[in-house]
Amino acid sequence: MPAVFRHADRRLVANRVLATLLVAAVAGSLLLPFAAMAPNRLVSGESVALVAALSPWQTLVLLGLALVLGVACLARPLGEHRGARTALIAAPLALLVVLYGLGDYATRALADASPAARVSQGAAFWVAVFCCALMMVDAFQRLRTPLWLCSIYALVVLGGIVALFAAGTFDALAIMQEYFNIEDAFAAQFVTHLVLVGLALGPALVVGLPLGLLAHRRPGARGPLFGVLNFFQTIPSIALFALLVTPLSRLGDALPWLREWGVSGIGAAPAIIALIMYSLLPIVRNTHAGFAGVAPATLEAASGMGMTATQVLWRVEIPLALPVILSGLRIVTVQAIGLTVVAALIGAGGLGAFIFQGLGQYAIDLVLLGAVPTIALAVVADFLLQILVTVSRPAGAR
Amino acid sequence: MIELQGLTKTYDDKDVVQDISLRIESGEFGVLIGPSGCGKSTTLRMINRLIPLTRGRILLGDEDISHLKPETLRRRIGYAIQSIGLFPHWTVADNIAVVPRLLKWPKSRIDARIDELLDLFHLAAGEFRDKYPHQLSGGQAQRVGVARALAADPEVLLMDEPFGAVDPLTREVLQNEMRRVHERTRKTIVFVTHDMDEALKLASRIAILNAGRLVQYDRPIELLTQPADAFVSDFIGKADLGLKLLSRRWVNQYQDRARTTPDAASGRPSHYWETDATGRPTCLHGGRLSDGDPEARTAVNDEWIATPGMPMKEALSRMVWYRVMVLPVIDESGRLIGEVSMDGVMGRQP
Amino acid sequence: MKRNLPHGRDALLLVLGVALILLVLFMDALAPLFRAAFPQLDTAVYARESFLKLTLDHLALVLVSSLISVSVGVAAGLFVTRRAGREFEPLVSALAAIGQTFPPAAVLAIVVPLAGFGFVPTIVALTLYGLLPVVQNTIAGLGTVPTDTLEAARGTGMSATQILWRVELPLAMRVIIAGVRVSVIINIGTATIGSTVGAQSLGTPIIAGLVGDNIAYVIQGAVLVGLLAIVSDLLFERLERRYRFGS
Repeated sequence: MPAVFRHADRRLVANRVLATLLVAAVAGSLLLPFAAMAPNRLVSGESVALVAALSPWQTLVLLGLALVLGVACLARPLGEHRGARTALIAAPLALLVVLYGLGDYATRALADASPAARVSQGAAFWVAVFCCALMMVDAFQRLRTPLWLCSIYALVVLGGIVALFAAGTFDALAIMQEYFNIEDAFAAQFVTHLVLVGLALGPALVVGLPLGLLAHRRPGARGPLFGVLNFFQTIPSIALFALLVTPLSRLGDALPWLREWGVSGIGAAPAIIALIMYSLLPIVRNTHAGFAGVAPATLEAASGMGMTATQVLWRVEIPLALPVILSGLRIVTVQAIGLTVVAALIGAGGLGAFIFQGLGQYAIDLVLLGAVPTIALAVVADFLLQILVTVSRPAGAR
Repeated sequence: MIELQGLTKTYDDKDVVQDISLRIESGEFGVLIGPSGCGKSTTLRMINRLIPLTRGRILLGDEDISHLKPETLRRRIGYAIQSIGLFPHWTVADNIAVVPRLLKWPKSRIDARIDELLDLFHLAAGEFRDKYPHQLSGGQAQRVGVARALAADPEVLLMDEPFGAVDPLTREVLQNEMRRVHERTRKTIVFVTHDMDEALKLASRIAILNAGRLVQYDRPIELLTQPADAFVSDFIGKADLGLKLLSRRWVNQYQDRARTTPDAASGRPSHYWETDATGRPTCLHGGRLSDGDPEARTAVNDEWIATPGMPMKEALSRMVWYRVMVLPVIDESGRLIGEVSMDGVMGRQP
Repeated sequence: MKRNLPHGRDALLLVLGVALILLVLFMDALAPLFRAAFPQLDTAVYARESFLKLTLDHLALVLVSSLISVSVGVAAGLFVTRRAGREFEPLVSALAAIGQTFPPAAVLAIVVPLAGFGFVPTIVALTLYGLLPVVQNTIAGLGTVPTDTLEAARGTGMSATQILWRVELPLAMRVIIAGVRVSVIINIGTATIGSTVGAQSLGTPIIAGLVGDNIAYVIQGAVLVGLLAIVSDLLFERLERRYRFGS
């Protein structure tokens, strides 16, 4: 439409979102501390600015990328779409330079410091990383990139970050120092975290899917069922974990053989039971919503043509309800990964153990070692399940 | 053949269908019609046992349907509904193949049947086989819905207001196709509608229902000329009875020989057709409604024609719209085979 | 049957609300009960701080953070649905959706140490997290207002501000309140964990009990915070019901 074109041409900035993010990133990077250098693990360190931390060539490259991004958000010469494609190249490069710059600074700074000295990342680092990530999200939204292409792109960027890790860029950073101290425990707790989530989701699905179907088939059961499940969902996680501790320890005392199975007040058993209770509502609700979303006409046609009830269920209802059911699984998985953090408080283990251990010792880097992987795990699980939801959508409904 | 004997349906002590008995012979196009809530859809759904009947009997051929398993019965009866209910996760071909697959037909036979049905409904197989329902227009989706109902060559086809949700133009086209398909396949059809024009156009027999009772069951002409009571005549509508009658008359009943040369002998103004080498009419000399000029030439276009199977009401409508006294009647290949005229319509018993 | 349901919910709300208040004020009276149940414990009722004070602290954490979340969140949701901010809508929506996949406990654990331990940093963390469902539901709620309705409102000559206040906000209110409900319920739970980062709350007796192996403390804190969450949820449900127009 020519009218829109003329309008777009008169504007100076074609992408105000990118412009805002760029200004925020530059201002945040310059005004906030980029890194902190501390004499030991437990005291907070002395702030170091971005310009002081980065080597001249890194600063120059970042400056260049910022200029490119600045041009990318203008109406001319690139315009919105070519600007977005440019941002998709410049933003991840800036991200990698910031990551490399931080690791490089830590290596240089610690070269002639005491062995106890620590370098950790500061607020400017987080702002820069965050803004770069959002620039990529914005560009994808403008280009309406299909999910599979986003996935490949994300893999390439992640590949770059993993390569930096593999090359030992970050080894000097405090968070990595913490990691090296507890390498084996970290791996074990990471696995525990996943196992807890898995042990909760399995039974929750086994119970929740039939309950969701029941809620769909028997409207009378819906009210009480959702009432009870919402009741559990509302109780704060730590309260539910804690409330389960008592009955389970009593049970463990009364039936010693249960104790051998690992059922006792403190530990994995109350955590898993609570996680199952939390997982039921989204699974049941989405299963019900999925079945309820199948058009009545489709069902009438199916039975009118002589499908048996079982055939209608498996050939029509389940395939059509599957995407909604899987969205429920997506919600529940992300939720369970988060709640498992809290389960560490009752001794169930998992990445939360590092968070609370770190909070107890005022060792922030240990806290981050627990928190950052948990967040990454949740985001990755969310993304993978989103792909699954998309794939499960019948071709006709996509 | 389908026969309802004393069919009754009771919900909460209220009879929504009361003691209906009627018989639709093999190959007949039976229409159940009545105001909303008259029990016509309920009656239809009792035939394929989507709704259990309270009293009475339904015979399919000489079998009592209550002796058949519902699924078995339904696979022998085609079913098409207003909201179509195509399976959104399957292609057009998969949708049509539902019942044949339930009946475990071999794949080659199913494939052949899909192509045959798409062809019957003038949907190009290459284009439509792999489309999904959401890619179809309303009219195309309804054609696929009917094709799906016909897929396993059922003995009977039940249709519940199948053209109720499409626009008037498409409905007209679909009705014409339905007539053609019925003539071609000679299926026994039970068709529910509330649209009297649709019923008159399609039915070989019409059952008028009111408040759960059968008021009249007759051939369309008898319904128009001998309504059983005031309800029926009101429901048919008196104002355009003449046009309604014409909707039950076909062009070939009024068709005259078409002149292709000027009638030199007669003194009064006359008209004749000019044709091209293949026999298609190209233009009309004279025959305009208003001007008396016998030599005025009018070019024939795609709309300004009639076919032998067209309802006379439609032919009349076209004459009025194009302001001509006469329409060329053409065969399937477009050749001039006769003409219908205002004089012809007026000169014959409706 | 359906008509009776709200009354049933109201009765439940009343009973649980009274139970919550009585327990907050008179937990000491249950001391014999706890002593009988856990004879091995030295002290049967948490006494380092009164439950009234703990509850008020907990409420202060939630109320302050929720008030900020709601005002900033609704304002942000309004901004990105107006013409001037529409360009930011996809990014803000994505941010709200991705942000909510972050575990609240992990966000608390990252933000609070960065801002220094205690009450105010905990509020900052709760506010940040609580923003997301409010923004998301404000955008969603305003999106559910039918375009016909907006067209009709414009047709009657209402100004943009009048349309917002008289048409859009009332129609979107139910969804917005649902977002606030999610935000508040999450914050009540996260504030409980706040006791691990130096903000006193009803989580304090729970953590103290877990650390000191005193199951009675754990139960007292957990029951109170559980009741608090459920009573708040029922209150919001009641509020939402008032904004249900026909649907």
